[in-house]
Amino acid sequence: MTASPLSVQDATIGYGRVAISEHLNVDIPEGEFTVILGPNACGKSTLLKALARMLKPSDGRVLLDGKDIHSQPTRAVARRLGLLPQAPIAPDGITVADLVARGRYPHQGILRQWSPEDEQVVAEAMAATDITELAARGVDELSGGQRQRVWIAMVLAQQTPLLLLDEPTTYLDITHQIEVLDLCAKLHREGRTLVAVLHDLNQAARYATHLIAMRDGAVVAEGPPAEIVTAETVHKVFDLPCRIIDDPESGTPLVIPSARARDGENSPSARARDEESSPSARARDLV
Amino acid sequence: MTAVLTRSSPQAGGAAGRSTVLRLGGMSVRVRHRTLVAVLGSLAALIAVAMWSAATGSTALGLERVWYALIGEGTKGDEFILWTLRLPRLATGIAVGACMGLSGALFQNLTRNPLGSPDILGLTQGATSGALVAIILTASSLQLTTVFAAVGALATGLIIWALTRGGDPSGYRLVLVGIGLAAILAGINGYLLTRTSIVDAFRAVYWLTGDLSGRDWSQARAVGLVLAGGILVVALLSRSLDALRLGEATATGLGVRVGTSRVVALVAASILTAGAVAVAGPLAFVALAAPHIAARLTGSTRSFLVSGIVGALIVTGADMIAVAGIAGRQLPTGVVTGVLGGAYLIWLLIANRKKGVMS
Repeated sequence: MTASPLSVQDATIGYGRVAISEHLNVDIPEGEFTVILGPNACGKSTLLKALARMLKPSDGRVLLDGKDIHSQPTRAVARRLGLLPQAPIAPDGITVADLVARGRYPHQGILRQWSPEDEQVVAEAMAATDITELAARGVDELSGGQRQRVWIAMVLAQQTPLLLLDEPTTYLDITHQIEVLDLCAKLHREGRTLVAVLHDLNQAARYATHLIAMRDGAVVAEGPPAEIVTAETVHKVFDLPCRIIDDPESGTPLVIPSARARDGENSPSARARDEESSPSARARDLV
Repeated sequence: MTAVLTRSSPQAGGAAGRSTVLRLGGMSVRVRHRTLVAVLGSLAALIAVAMWSAATGSTALGLERVWYALIGEGTKGDEFILWTLRLPRLATGIAVGACMGLSGALFQNLTRNPLGSPDILGLTQGATSGALVAIILTASSLQLTTVFAAVGALATGLIIWALTRGGDPSGYRLVLVGIGLAAILAGINGYLLTRTSIVDAFRAVYWLTGDLSGRDWSQARAVGLVLAGGILVVALLSRSLDALRLGEATATGLGVRVGTSRVVALVAASILTAGAVAVAGPLAFVALAAPHIAARLTGSTRSFLVSGIVGALIVTGADMIAVAGIAGRQLPTGVVTGVLGGAYLIWLLIANRKKGVMS
């Protein structure tokens, strides 16, 4: 009955012997734009890596189309599931068209290096991300926002119904963040299932159709942003006192951090206490 | 969205990207024009150097006598000079150079580092340790030195693999482990040299310089076999290795079997190095310089084939100069590759300073 094309079942995920998440269960709903969020070190990128088969759970399973992702040929997986990692590397001097063409790898072989279909798909991927005019340019000459669109085009050329994006907006300025997220929303509208790790709560609330909020390696809340983004949940996940209003642009929840201080108990009297014990406060700052 | 199909797809992608696709049934092979030019150009240069080497030397034959000796219509003396003295040396040089060019390209790809060559990663030092042991322990036949050197290089490759296995398989780890091993082995080699007699020490230093003189067909065949195996592996791996240049994560996403590809590449590069160094000694800088020159010629990251040809060209060219020698005295081949390679490295450092690649 699972409508979920990609899921984590009772998995323990981590690096070496350090488990980040234990007995984690996550279903990625089909056709949704899922955003995973949470504070630093909450395990959101680790979850994405497990979904992308970069990390193998030490216990439990990751299922793609109902079958263990690690038991399927990795090239076959790459025709179902595309991944844009956090810091992809562009080889020196590579052109935009060449980089996008790399996305055809799982569809090619030694004797089938460049079919008419490859060419058509690459052209479509560049058109969809609006980089057709940049085709002959070197990737290292581009701005951060253009470069991110090139990488997304490469993943699109993979022609996968599922796309995983690890912090696609992290190194971009606000204009390019919105540009990349608008592109993601368009890809979602065209019928793809997207999963992205994002840092910005308000962007997540505006663009996601499904949110997974994590803390300390566990899922704290999950569902549509309108239900999930409440002052209570935000406090539970981020320790951040806040108010939620309607985003005047999109009508989605907008998180306004409280004007006081970060610390819930940071009342005027608590502040006075801090000032008295300033040496220790300073020491804490240093740590 | 309407899918806009434009003709300005990869084929039109600038001068470096122009290519022709050859199709036959369901098969298609994509050939970049610039790569094709680089392959043909470097092959032509290699053939020219080979002809020149065959025709000149202590007895100048000239191309005409070389031709008759080659097709079996020359004098006995000419045929002896060509078939017993010059061609085995030439064939050994070509195969050794190609092995080094390929292994250098593999290591630079694996480490994603312009200095990632068997000289830096300790394989050459490992081969040297093997050769030194053979020279000290035995009356030192060339055969035994060859076998021991190959074992030394392979063992070093194995240790690198064992130490980089499991953890994060990034290029940095490989480089750092390799540099550490190289330092340890250099120390061991220094110790071994102090334990030898002056005669053995001289022979050892001569081997360490690297030379092609006196190589016969058995050596050419041995390194030729290694080369053939290496070419096969590289042909099978080149697309995965190229995808790996986008980073492990991206390569995984594209469906590359990252771990397997890296191990096979490391083993292949170690065997290529072992074969080449065992036969010719550690000819300095060939493995380092060849991939850079190839990348510059092709303007592409996928330049294994050209790197192999360039390696062969460097070694045969250097050997040609070595045979001509200074003031009539022949030089060890390694002296010439060392001087040329060192000059190239300095130029590379200066040329890259602006880009900050080496910093």
